[in-house]
Amino acid sequence: MAEKIKILYVDDEPGNLIGFKASFRVDYHVLTAVNIPQAINYLDNNPDIKIIFCDQRMPGKTGVDFFEEIRISHPLPVRILLTAYTDVESIIEAINRGNIFRYVKKPWAEADILSSIDEANKFYTANSMLMVKNEELQKAYAELTKFAYSVSHDIRGPLSGMLGAINLAGEIDDIEEIKEMLFLMGKSLTKLDTYILSMHDYYSLQRGELKITNIDFNKIIDDLKAMYMVISKSNKIVFTTTVDQGEVFRSDEVPLRLILNNLLSNAFKYQDKKSTNKSVEVSIEVHKNQAIIYVKDTGIGILGNHIGEIFDLFYRANFQEAGSGFGLYNVKSAILKLGGNIEVNSVLHKGTTFKIIIPSI
Amino acid sequence: MDKEFSFIIIDDSELDCFVIQKVIERAFKNLDIISFQNANNALEAIKEQGVKTKPTIILLDIQMPLMNGFQFIEEFEKFSPQIQDCYTVIILSILSATRAPADIHTEFNKRIVGSIIEKPFTIEKLLSLLKNMGLADEKIVLSGKKLLP
Repeated sequence: MAEKIKILYVDDEPGNLIGFKASFRVDYHVLTAVNIPQAINYLDNNPDIKIIFCDQRMPGKTGVDFFEEIRISHPLPVRILLTAYTDVESIIEAINRGNIFRYVKKPWAEADILSSIDEANKFYTANSMLMVKNEELQKAYAELTKFAYSVSHDIRGPLSGMLGAINLAGEIDDIEEIKEMLFLMGKSLTKLDTYILSMHDYYSLQRGELKITNIDFNKIIDDLKAMYMVISKSNKIVFTTTVDQGEVFRSDEVPLRLILNNLLSNAFKYQDKKSTNKSVEVSIEVHKNQAIIYVKDTGIGILGNHIGEIFDLFYRANFQEAGSGFGLYNVKSAILKLGGNIEVNSVLHKGTTFKIIIPSI
Repeated sequence: MDKEFSFIIIDDSELDCFVIQKVIERAFKNLDIISFQNANNALEAIKEQGVKTKPTIILLDIQMPLMNGFQFIEEFEKFSPQIQDCYTVIILSILSATRAPADIHTEFNKRIVGSIIEKPFTIEKLLSLLKNMGLADEKIVLSGKKLLP
């Protein structure tokens, strides 16, 4: 069965508290408070309290006063007022000021309490689900706005560049100039293509379910070595890899590859072209049910004031044209999806190290 | 034609820089045109140049990584008025002012930013702008146009 519903009962008569607890503690998690400060203390320490029962007549403050007081600080719990007095004035006040959900007459009958708990719990669940959905929607909406703006720029940008080039091509007679322009058009198209591929990654990360299999890091690294061999040789970048996997590791291979591939592609891309001592290093250690991955490069590094933003969608911290602003955002989404975390350490003109910890699932 | 004015192109896309430069070169012979793919470098160059005798038109892309067009203008406004007076900025935008968020028109200081050209850049768009801004008389516009097919 699911966890017991947490209920707070506030009443100045200890006898009532004991009676309430005795009747309901088997089925519910009942907390009782004999005065308002104690009740607020409970609320502060138990954010998962779902329902509050409160007596109206108490010395100092009334139940309605109490509900009004916690309306801003603890908006989530559903409020139920217990009272022996049922004049219309106090009922109106309870509803308007105390924002109560139900009104239970004292002395209470067990059946009344039970049915109000049941109703209140449904109300609470519906409310909190609505809040979660609302938050998700807001996040999705904010991303969509960013997305629309970026798509219009990153897709229309290369296209309008190409269109301009085509218009111009008709007027150029020099074949060398045409060739130069074709080369630049190719670069623009490659960028557009990378952008669209990353957009696909972005969507599969946001929507897809995890497919857990046994992961062989040696196999993954061998594939990556083959992939990056050419660029490593042609750009004279020393590529070293170490894998230490002595135990079974379970995770989803697709996001894992996406993480390593994006980080490696950055590590090779953002090298200092003038440097004579270029290297990229990957090390993976699987130990006690988690994989610790380091991706280290001797590249251009990231300026300190950009580090906080590098995982943001569409953020580009470099002038090089190749960036789409998707890469590290996708890396972070993939890591979060796998339940891991990432740290970055970078020194400008010296290099960048990413440390990733991913648990075996 | 004389060197009446010169151009600075600031656009992070290599292809756009190339195309815009070629288009202008074909319309106006013997003009100084410099391209920058990095707004920071353009600022440095303007600073070094100091006060000039000939007006310069800056064609400025808005969406660029690290320093975008808005940030460039912010930095540019810090130069002395004598330097600022040597330049007129024309914004190059992927989306025209009617389609882009309202920020483009409201954001800019009218004194510095002459106008907005929606990409793709063409010589017709530039010439009609120059004419409207009083930077080119009918003769120059015609001489520019004559070169068009």
